Amino acid sequence: MKLAAGAFLGGAKSRLLPASVPFRFFGAAVVFHLLAWIAALRAAADWPGFAGGLGWPLAALHLVTLGVLAMTAIGASLQLLPVATRQPIRRVRGPALVWWLYAPGVAALALGMGTGAPALLAVGGGGVGAGLLLYAGLLAANLLGARGMPGIVAHGWAALAALVVVLVTAASLVATYLGMPLLDRRAALALHVAFAGYGFMGLLALGLAYLLVPMFALAPAPDARLQLVSWGSAVIALCCAGAAALGVLPVALRVVAIGAGAIATGLHLALMRRALCAGMRKDLGVSFALVRTGWTGLVVSLLAALGVALDAPVPGLPLLFGLLLVGVWLLSFVLGILQRILPFLASMHAAVGKHRPPTPSSFTRRRPLVLHFACHLSALAAMALAIVTASPLLAELAAAAGTIGALAYAAFFATLVRRLAAPVRPSALPAKA
Amino acid sequence: MEFARQVSHVLDTEHRANLELLGRIEQALARPQRAAADPDFARLAAAFARMVEQDIGRHFDFEEQQLFPRMADAGEGDIAGLLQEEHDSIREVAAEVLPLARAAAAGTLDGPGFEALRRCALELVERQVAHIQKETMALLPLLDDLLDDELDRTLAFEYAAG
Repeated sequence: MKLAAGAFLGGAKSRLLPASVPFRFFGAAVVFHLLAWIAALRAAADWPGFAGGLGWPLAALHLVTLGVLAMTAIGASLQLLPVATRQPIRRVRGPALVWWLYAPGVAALALGMGTGAPALLAVGGGGVGAGLLLYAGLLAANLLGARGMPGIVAHGWAALAALVVVLVTAASLVATYLGMPLLDRRAALALHVAFAGYGFMGLLALGLAYLLVPMFALAPAPDARLQLVSWGSAVIALCCAGAAALGVLPVALRVVAIGAGAIATGLHLALMRRALCAGMRKDLGVSFALVRTGWTGLVVSLLAALGVALDAPVPGLPLLFGLLLVGVWLLSFVLGILQRILPFLASMHAAVGKHRPPTPSSFTRRRPLVLHFACHLSALAAMALAIVTASPLLAELAAAAGTIGALAYAAFFATLVRRLAAPVRPSALPAKA
Repeated sequence: MEFARQVSHVLDTEHRANLELLGRIEQALARPQRAAADPDFARLAAAFARMVEQDIGRHFDFEEQQLFPRMADAGEGDIAGLLQEEHDSIREVAAEVLPLARAAAAGTLDGPGFEALRRCALELVERQVAHIQKETMALLPLLDDLLDDELDRTLAFEYAAG
């Protein structure tokens, strides 16, 4: 029995994209993270009553979903999937072009949303759509050539299918603001939220976790059959949610979707727990505290979704659901994993041609990450309270804490890039990530 | 983790003993001022020096001469190459840390020397822990397939005798 992470680590060095390619995605994610909290601060007064529509709350939301979550997922999947599925790096220009289309597109889209400018929204949406379509092609090519890791590959294909739904519904929603609605807005919105949050991003997060969590914890690969059972439940959940969004037995199918989603989540978390318990590396530091926060958010988001589906009398429940799905589950998970990937990738790149390569910890600064963790949790908790109590002041405090945390995260990233660019002393002091 | 081969068991036992010692060193050096003033630290430094001097050399030589070539022949050259590179790096750090650890064991290390020991030892701990973990995940399970019963007995005997 050979363990997956061993094979992964063995092949990783020979299948690296040039450092500039994944790091431009990760760098953009760090910048958009900061901009998202600044936009949230700008929108503080509007948060408690936010129910959709153009404005800074929508801009902040998309700076997180497109700017941080999808940006990180694109960078990570383009670099990690070829390594995991044992394929050579064939294309470098494609990933670079994705960034050039996508990153300015996200900026324009967010600005269009924030300022209420439909033309800018359309231009930005065009860039985002083109970037994501090109990315979908690259991901499909990776998945077609994949060898092994059937659970991760299945999650990749399902995420890709969900991305198609997300793009179609996004186009429809943008077209609505241009006066040319393609789909019923309510249905498009329901499909967009479910297939973006739980579909594209959720499935990529679950799939990549099967690779990354055992790798960082140095644990055996999770049971592939159970990965596929969890994946199957998630796909059933999405299909039911999709049908419900289109008006087929809306309440009943939403409840079935949440039940199937709960089975998928339960199995996934059981596999993750098993990997962490069996892993040889027990102290995974602040990064895995964030990952665990994310997993908690995933579970609670399903409860909130049930509350929304059954119209439970909780103040601000739809907004709370959004916060749990995007902020607590996906953002916490992605930022936790990103702070592990970055030093790991940096050390792999720095090792090329070096006799004594620098260690991952020599790229890490612990203090900014601890500060970010504290600010991130405070911001999410305060934002939840702001929604329940309809308090703009609390929303402002939450966004301020988030901004400080994002600055700390940016300081961590800037240090890492500076150390990667400069000749790193191999004997730099280790620190826990 | 369960291993079927004697060689895997022997290497795993040494890995675990090393991990335990490396953990103690890391903990002690987390508070350098206390460690510098602690008379027990000299004993820990002596054990650390013995591990660096004896275990790393003998253990690494055995893997490089007997196991890595067999891994490469079995199509696992990528992993064998990665482990070999890590051996080279660890040997280099070990060469720096050994005189410092000996001096700490003898109680003759000054302030700057202790800081150098802390820096080098923590680097060695990080590299060695990550390396042991990779071997436990990638090398030891592979030996179940790479070695037959007779070769396993022969290699285990040779290693014990050497």
